[in-house]
Amino acid sequence: MKQALVDDTEDVSLDFGNEEELAFRKAKIRHPVATFFHLFFRVSAIITYVGCDWFSRSFVGCFVTVLLLLSFDFWSVKNVTGRLMVGLRWWNQIDEDGKSHWIFEARKVSPNTVAATEAEARVFWLGLIVSPMIWIVFCFSSLFSLKLKWLALVIAGISLQAANLYGYVLCKMGGESDISKVTASFLSQTVFQTACPRDFQKPGLEGLEIHKY
Amino acid sequence: MAEAAESPGDPGTATPRPLMRDLKAVGKKFMHVLYPRKSNTLLRDWDLWGPLILCVTLALMLQRGSVDSEKDGGPQFAEVFVIVWFGAVTITLNSKLLGGNISFFQSLCVLGYCILPLTVAMLVCRLVLLAEPGPINFMVRLFVVIVMFAWSIVASTAFLADSQPPNRKALAVYPVFLFYFVISWMILTFTPQ
Repeated sequence: MKQALVDDTEDVSLDFGNEEELAFRKAKIRHPVATFFHLFFRVSAIITYVGCDWFSRSFVGCFVTVLLLLSFDFWSVKNVTGRLMVGLRWWNQIDEDGKSHWIFEARKVSPNTVAATEAEARVFWLGLIVSPMIWIVFCFSSLFSLKLKWLALVIAGISLQAANLYGYVLCKMGGESDISKVTASFLSQTVFQTACPRDFQKPGLEGLEIHKY
Repeated sequence: MAEAAESPGDPGTATPRPLMRDLKAVGKKFMHVLYPRKSNTLLRDWDLWGPLILCVTLALMLQRGSVDSEKDGGPQFAEVFVIVWFGAVTITLNSKLLGGNISFFQSLCVLGYCILPLTVAMLVCRLVLLAEPGPINFMVRLFVVIVMFAWSIVASTAFLADSQPPNRKALAVYPVFLFYFVISWMILTFTPQ
C-alpha cells in the first residue's frame, strides 16, 4: 500500500486516520492480563485432565480441580476476555412476561473507538475453537478406553467450552445467517492476512449489532 | 449463558462484568431458598453457579473415606453428579412437555438451588455420625433429613408450580418429589467406612 501512495501522489487522498488505525491494530496485545487468563484456564484444565494419573492418584481431587478450572474459564471468557479482546458479549435476559431472550452484541467500531488488535483477535478465536475440539477428542478416548468415570467431567468440559464458542460465533455472525460466508471471511482475516483494512471491518463489527433470539 | 441482568446501557465500552455482582447474586439466591417467599429473584436472574457449588459439596460429602486408593470413591462421586444434573434436566424436560412456560435454565436454576436444604442435612448427618452409632443416631438423622426434604419440596414448588397450567400442577411436582427423595435417600443411607 505504501508503494501506491508513493507512485500516485497526485490522485490519492492521504488517509492518515485509516493508517493510524491500521498501525494501532497491528500493534501488539493491548490487554496482556486478559489474554493470559483467556488461555491459562483452558490450557490448565486440559493439562490437569491429561496429567491426572501423574499428579495424584485421587480421582475426586482431579475431577474437582478440572471442574473448577473449567468454571473459571467459562466465567472469565464469557464476561471478561470476550469484551476486552474482541468487543463482543452475549447473555440471557428474562423480561417482565417471563420470556427468555438471548442477546448477542458486537461493539460498534467508529473513528473514536478502536477495534480489536489482530494479535488479540487471533489468540481469542484460536483459543476458543481449539479447546472444544480437544475436549471432544478426550470424549472419544474416554469412551473407547472405557474409562467411563471420566465421561461426566469430559461432557461438562465440552458443554462449557462449546457454549462460549457458540455464543461468540453468534455475536460475530451478526445479521449474517450464512455460516459459510462468515467462516470464509474469518479465515481470510485471521489466517491469511489480507492487507486491505476495509476487509477487517466488515463482518459483524459495523454498527451496534444487537440480535435477539 | 448462565447469568442474566446485563446492563445494556454500556455497549460502546467493553467493560468486563463485575465478579462481586455475580457472587452477591448467588448469595442472595441462597437466602431466597432458605426463606422461601413468593419472589422472582430465582427466576429472573438465574444462574447455575449455585447448583454447581452445591452439587460439588454434596458429592464431596458423600465420599466414603477408604484406605484403598484404587477405589477412592470414584464412581460414587461421578454418580452424584450424574443423578443431580440428569435428574434436573429430566424434570425440566417433563415440565416443558407438560406445557410449562418456564425456560430450561430457569428450571435448572430453581431445582439446583433448592438442593441447599439437603446439603445442610448432609452436613448435619456427617456431624451426627461422628457420635456413636445406634438407634438414636439414626432417628436424629431421619428427622433432620425429613425436615430438609420437606423444605426443599416447599421451596421448589413455591417457584415452579406457578409456571404450570392449574390442572397439571401435580404432574409437574411429582418428579420433583422423586428427585429430592432420591437425594434424601442417598444422604440417609450414607455410612462412612
